[in-house]
Amino acid sequence: MAPVDTVRRARRRQVRPGRVALYLTLAAISLVMIVPFVWMLLTSVKTPGDIAAVPPRLFPTKWAFGNYVDALRAAPFATYARNSFVIAISHTLLNVVIASMAGYALARLRFRGSSLIFLGFVGALMIPTYTKILPEFLIVRFMPLFGGNDITGQGGTGWLDTWWALIIPGAVSPFSVFLFRQFYLDLPVELEEAARLDGLGELGIYARIMTPLVKPAFITVALLTFESSWNNFLWPLLVTKSDSLRVIQVGLSVFRTENDTQWAFLMAGTTLATVPMVVLFLIGQRYFVQGFATAGIK
Amino acid sequence: MSRQGLGRARRRAGLLMVAPALLHALIWIGIPLVAAVVLSFTSYDVLTPPRFVGLANFQDLLGDQVFRRAVLNTSVYTFFTVPVAMGIALLIALMLNTKLAGRAIFRTAIFIPQVTATIAVALVWLWIYDPRSGLANAILSFLGLDGPAWLSSTTWAMPAVIVVGIWQGIGLKMLIYLAALQSLPTDLYEAASVDGASKVRQFFSLTVPLLRPATFFVFVTSVIGAFQSFDQVYILTDGGPANSTTMMTYEIYKSAFREFRMGYACAQSLVLFAMLLILTLVNRRITGGDRGTR
Repeated sequence: MAPVDTVRRARRRQVRPGRVALYLTLAAISLVMIVPFVWMLLTSVKTPGDIAAVPPRLFPTKWAFGNYVDALRAAPFATYARNSFVIAISHTLLNVVIASMAGYALARLRFRGSSLIFLGFVGALMIPTYTKILPEFLIVRFMPLFGGNDITGQGGTGWLDTWWALIIPGAVSPFSVFLFRQFYLDLPVELEEAARLDGLGELGIYARIMTPLVKPAFITVALLTFESSWNNFLWPLLVTKSDSLRVIQVGLSVFRTENDTQWAFLMAGTTLATVPMVVLFLIGQRYFVQGFATAGIK
Repeated sequence: MSRQGLGRARRRAGLLMVAPALLHALIWIGIPLVAAVVLSFTSYDVLTPPRFVGLANFQDLLGDQVFRRAVLNTSVYTFFTVPVAMGIALLIALMLNTKLAGRAIFRTAIFIPQVTATIAVALVWLWIYDPRSGLANAILSFLGLDGPAWLSSTTWAMPAVIVVGIWQGIGLKMLIYLAALQSLPTDLYEAASVDGASKVRQFFSLTVPLLRPATFFVFVTSVIGAFQSFDQVYILTDGGPANSTTMMTYEIYKSAFREFRMGYACAQSLVLFAMLLILTLVNRRITGGDRGTR
């Protein structure tokens, strides 16, 4: 080991051209990835005059931080953001609880039909969103006894423009069930058996013994669920009409009309919609990366 | 309790615990899938009850020039975004798989577009592509070139959309490749070095075959993702100009929610499903599938 270490240390001392090229390449790629976000931030604090400037200026001549206040005043962004948070957090909680139970049962409690059910969940992963989205919309629209509908689902608007439509269809994703199962599979059988001998019920074993051991799985699934829920666009667009139920991704389009786009406001709003995910990513980076990687490798 | 009683308790608990998720999947995935198949044989505008029309929707599909264009566009988009982004992602992953200071910063920068909503991303790119005051043409004019009106040009709109797709898709592919690279057995490489295999030789004879499961996964999920991209087209081009960027998903959306032809939209969505299924199966054959993965 020792000679290798010395060689390595000696190598590190010289500046190798390959190394420099590697850093420069990576820095250039990172810059390309980041530029649109920098552009967004800078545009969000420009005056209309600076935005219309040809050729465009990178930095504003006058920093118009007031754009944020004006954007918040021009559209109910606080409401949009609240709605997005409520939906993303509900989806996260429901997914984590329901999918983890299912994943645990499929991984550790063999019962009749369990492998068939698991196959079903795996198959569900393959169905494109767009094959399901129309009938899902129709189920929401014709939900019996809601929104003025009669028992056959006729006469009213069902779950359209309600919290139900925004939350219930996305409450469990087969992908979460699948991920949880993979995580629970790796736990040792001895633990489970010891707990059973101590007289703990199956639910107790799941909740008190096994689940605390897969905390990273919970953080992973929670982050992934929050991300896809926060970024979802088409479904909330389809099932809501009223401003009080609009989510932030849909709400952004208010600044984009046929004739005139208010770029500064639009970019201020876009920044507001982007920042929570970026912050969450930076905080949970380790788990995010691990979760995506696990999903890929297993 | 007897041994049998224990087993029964376990089975009952298992069924109970899987029940909520199963019920949810049956209602929101099972029924919609069956309904999509049934509705594809009907003419249905939501307001009046569905009317059985047999194979008429599928016959209409065959003669639908716009949908044919959408299939072509989707294929072009997938062909350019998936392999190109995979190549770039693998290169970046190889670069990041060395001992580097600031590796986490590079990784974060490359991955961030992935966690950002496509809508937000598309809005920013809309601005970048603005012919008069956008960043793209500013850079081109700095180089002494005249940039096109990207999104309103039938020639340039598709490439512009593809660039956004590649840009946003690199992060996740890079990450999966990076994770796979880090789990490769180092002793094989040491043995290869001892045998005098060059780095290039090691890459093609060791790394590429060992990365096969990761490649299969990245390819399948990326193709499925690319075939279903909707948000950026919705914001960037609305399928235009002259249908040059319309995608299958966008046509499904238009048939269903602008023209209220639900049956026709279901038929279109089944074509999408069939294409994805065939692509996945073919790819499984070619790459040897996900053997070696769990």
